[in-house]
Amino acid sequence: MTLGLLSQYVFNGLMLGMIYAMVAVGFTLFFGVLDVIKFSHGDVLMVGAFTGLATYLGLQALGVDSPLVQLLVMTVVAALAMGLLGALIAKYLVLPLRLAPPLNTLLITLMLGSVLREAVRLFYPQGSNPKPFPRLLPADFVSFGAFTLRADSMILLLAGLAAIVAVHLLITRTKLGLAIRAVAQDAETARIMGINFEFIVLLTFAIGSGMAALGGLMNGLYYNEINFGMGLLLGVIGFSAAVIGGLGNIYGAILGGFLFSALQSIGAVALPALFPGTSTAYKDVFAFAVVIIFMAWRPTGLIAEKKSERV
Amino acid sequence: MSATLLSVENVYAGYDKADVLQDVSLAVAAGSITCILGSNGSGKSTLIRAILGLTKPRRGRVLFDGADLVGMPTHRIVGTGIACIPEGRKVFPKLSVLENLQLGAYQEGDQGKIARRIEQVFGIFPRLAERSAQLAGTMSGGEQAMLSIGRGMMGEPKLLLIDEPSLGLSPRLVKENFAVIRRINELGITVLLVEQNVHQTLAIAHHGYVLSQGRVVASGTARELAENAEVRAAYFG
Repeated sequence: MTLGLLSQYVFNGLMLGMIYAMVAVGFTLFFGVLDVIKFSHGDVLMVGAFTGLATYLGLQALGVDSPLVQLLVMTVVAALAMGLLGALIAKYLVLPLRLAPPLNTLLITLMLGSVLREAVRLFYPQGSNPKPFPRLLPADFVSFGAFTLRADSMILLLAGLAAIVAVHLLITRTKLGLAIRAVAQDAETARIMGINFEFIVLLTFAIGSGMAALGGLMNGLYYNEINFGMGLLLGVIGFSAAVIGGLGNIYGAILGGFLFSALQSIGAVALPALFPGTSTAYKDVFAFAVVIIFMAWRPTGLIAEKKSERV
Repeated sequence: MSATLLSVENVYAGYDKADVLQDVSLAVAAGSITCILGSNGSGKSTLIRAILGLTKPRRGRVLFDGADLVGMPTHRIVGTGIACIPEGRKVFPKLSVLENLQLGAYQEGDQGKIARRIEQVFGIFPRLAERSAQLAGTMSGGEQAMLSIGRGMMGEPKLLLIDEPSLGLSPRLVKENFAVIRRINELGITVLLVEQNVHQTLAIAHHGYVLSQGRVVASGTARELAENAEVRAAYFG
């Protein structure tokens, strides 16, 4: 393989890893504060991407044609709208079921995911077709011999990194973050400390869902196409990444995201090399198979959370 | 004696449909240490939960400083000036000692006040100062007890609820803890102390109530209770 092709695989892997990590952080945050799996998370990402696209079309219609302004407005609108959607889901679907068996939450969020998916398919104009996503980032690139650095990919990577670092700082350095960690460790004692439990839960769902919206936009800007079903696979991958890392642990989720994309890249490169004639399309099969084996070997994930600490 | 700070009036509370507390009434005088004695399952912890709004009373009133707490969410009840040192200490295991203390003053916005109170707690428990960066879950039971007490003082409450401070501690630590509780009270904080340890509790309390099967079966000054046959019956009968 040429160096150029290798660098392309690495770059692509990093990009996907970043998107997966952003989805996985949501899963792990929700599980942290409420011990629930919210399966509509991938579809919230998809709705976020479509919200961004609709905002773009709206701005076009209004005559705003600076790509920078368009991008900023799209990002803010999509993140805020999905943050609000996440908080509403928490308030009206997840919190009321807090005392019910966890399976009910699983089922209801699975259903909600389908509702979101079908709603976009049916109500977005020609929603069942893939939609072209605008190229808003500069297409400049620099080449070092065989190695090509694209400006748009670099910007996306840095933006993703910034979003993850921002969430990390929020969780570890602020008073609200301290409250989120306290609720995650012991919700009842957190309430005794005077923490508004419901507010913290809604805030956490808003943060996770806003991150998903950013992941959806990144996905759209990178592939220049979105479709109503994109959240399904991204949701499953994000969930796998969070579980690989150890649910409830933010570092684990980030690690899991990059690990999964690394597995896909390895699958895409190694399978055709080892078994000539195999398509790179088997990369997902390879990655998920490794995840299954990994979970059998290490059921609690990479960064295990000791059960005794979660009274 | 001085004015009543907390009064529980005819409270019924429990889980599902069964009431654990039945028609419980009691008063805590401002500035006092008032104790609730009772054996396991007598409803002591449910009483604490009912005051904090963690278990909503089905009937009755909980008046604190003139306001009825029943129906208020827990964080607002805490905001009226009540703090709690929960049963089993319940420190946040994966947060540092300092972070645990900061959470005790969660509703305090003034950083200067928080810093002063942390200094005050470190003055009482120098051990906590040495370990301020350590994760609470890695400390010994005695140290966690200190942290839990310190955390309870951080909000500078008017009323401090203390649930079974002697549970799981060695006799020497129990003695130290009770000395600290008396010291906290001398700082002007009213204490409602829930305990099984009759002798030590009555030695520092001013006034007390005995709970048995969810009802108040005796009350009086600490001295009266120490001589009361009902108390003996509740524990040894």
